[in-house]
Amino acid sequence: MDIFDGIKEALAEILDIEDREITPDTYIIRELGAESIDLLELAVSLNAKFEIDVNDDEIFLKTLRLHMDAGLKQGKEAAGYLKEKFPSLKKDRLKEIIADLEAGPALKVKDLISYVRLKLETR
Amino acid sequence: MHLKFSGNRALILGGNSELGICLAKYLINAAIFPILTYRNETGHRHILDRLHSVEGKYSSFHLDFDAPASLDSLFRRIGDNLDFLVDFAHANYESLVASADEERLSRYFAENISFRAAVLKRAARAMLRNKRGRLVFISSSAAKRPNPGQGFYAAAKLASEALYKNLGLELGERGITTVTLRPGYIDAGRGRAFIQSKGEDALKKVPTKKALTKEEVAETILFYLSDSAGGANATEISMDGGLTAGK
Repeated sequence: MDIFDGIKEALAEILDIEDREITPDTYIIRELGAESIDLLELAVSLNAKFEIDVNDDEIFLKTLRLHMDAGLKQGKEAAGYLKEKFPSLKKDRLKEIIADLEAGPALKVKDLISYVRLKLETR
Repeated sequence: MHLKFSGNRALILGGNSELGICLAKYLINAAIFPILTYRNETGHRHILDRLHSVEGKYSSFHLDFDAPASLDSLFRRIGDNLDFLVDFAHANYESLVASADEERLSRYFAENISFRAAVLKRAARAMLRNKRGRLVFISSSAAKRPNPGQGFYAAAKLASEALYKNLGLELGERGITTVTLRPGYIDAGRGRAFIQSKGEDALKKVPTKKALTKEEVAETILFYLSDSAGGANATEISMDGGLTAGK
């Protein structure tokens, strides 16, 4: 199954939004209104669909701010430090995320795609 | 009353206990397939011997709260095929708080709280796929009224109760609910040994002056697993003959 299609299908089912357009740039929390229990269901669904282990903290960037603070304390460059913690995301994307944080949770559909892709490649 | 059940597969943690085996027989009668966990070969043999007559109607699996790898293999085997969980697993650790061995108490909490949380996480995720699940945790009247020496046991029970409570709170809307039962003295396993060692004094504080039989406990659990008990979620229920009601 195509990764994007699989994620779209899971989101539509869990959030009950079959009629809404979902693109790789759609924000999961900010636009689709996913709550923590929805994210949990999404993790379970992706785990089953793609047969991958899903770490909720990592895929949903739950520990992003925690790691940012830790990196800051160690005097490290933010995107470089985060790259070690979120290996599925490219450095440019992490920079985007950091710049976007003020406006709310920055998680997008494409971040899930990257996560699933890396998991499938390293399985 | 005829009990109805939403599901047909139950995981029994601590399945090699007398209570676990007794419950397994009731479940089989109710057309529910029990999967009993054991932590060592003695426990395994015990299950095989006691459930000899119902071979093929249950399965057993190694799960050691001190061996995290056994969790992976258990849930690989279960997949998302899990409707019920009954949790009897709990090691005993008797010590006055002020005389506890520090390394041992850390290990005790790791096994009886952290590992249980990991089991619950896996079970809940398996149940989430089917949007239904019922979990019953067997706590103890010691959670409310511990004797001296039961501090660690009570602390681990209370922490575990909190995990079950929150699971029911968080996933109730997704069809996953929990109940904690707090039995008092039971005429089985550790309880029987205690009652025998104390003689008549053991039941002096129990208003009914009786210990629970394992059948009574199993039947109560069966009721709480059934659809009839659906209203009970994220809560603790005492079944101790009134032991913890008075002072």
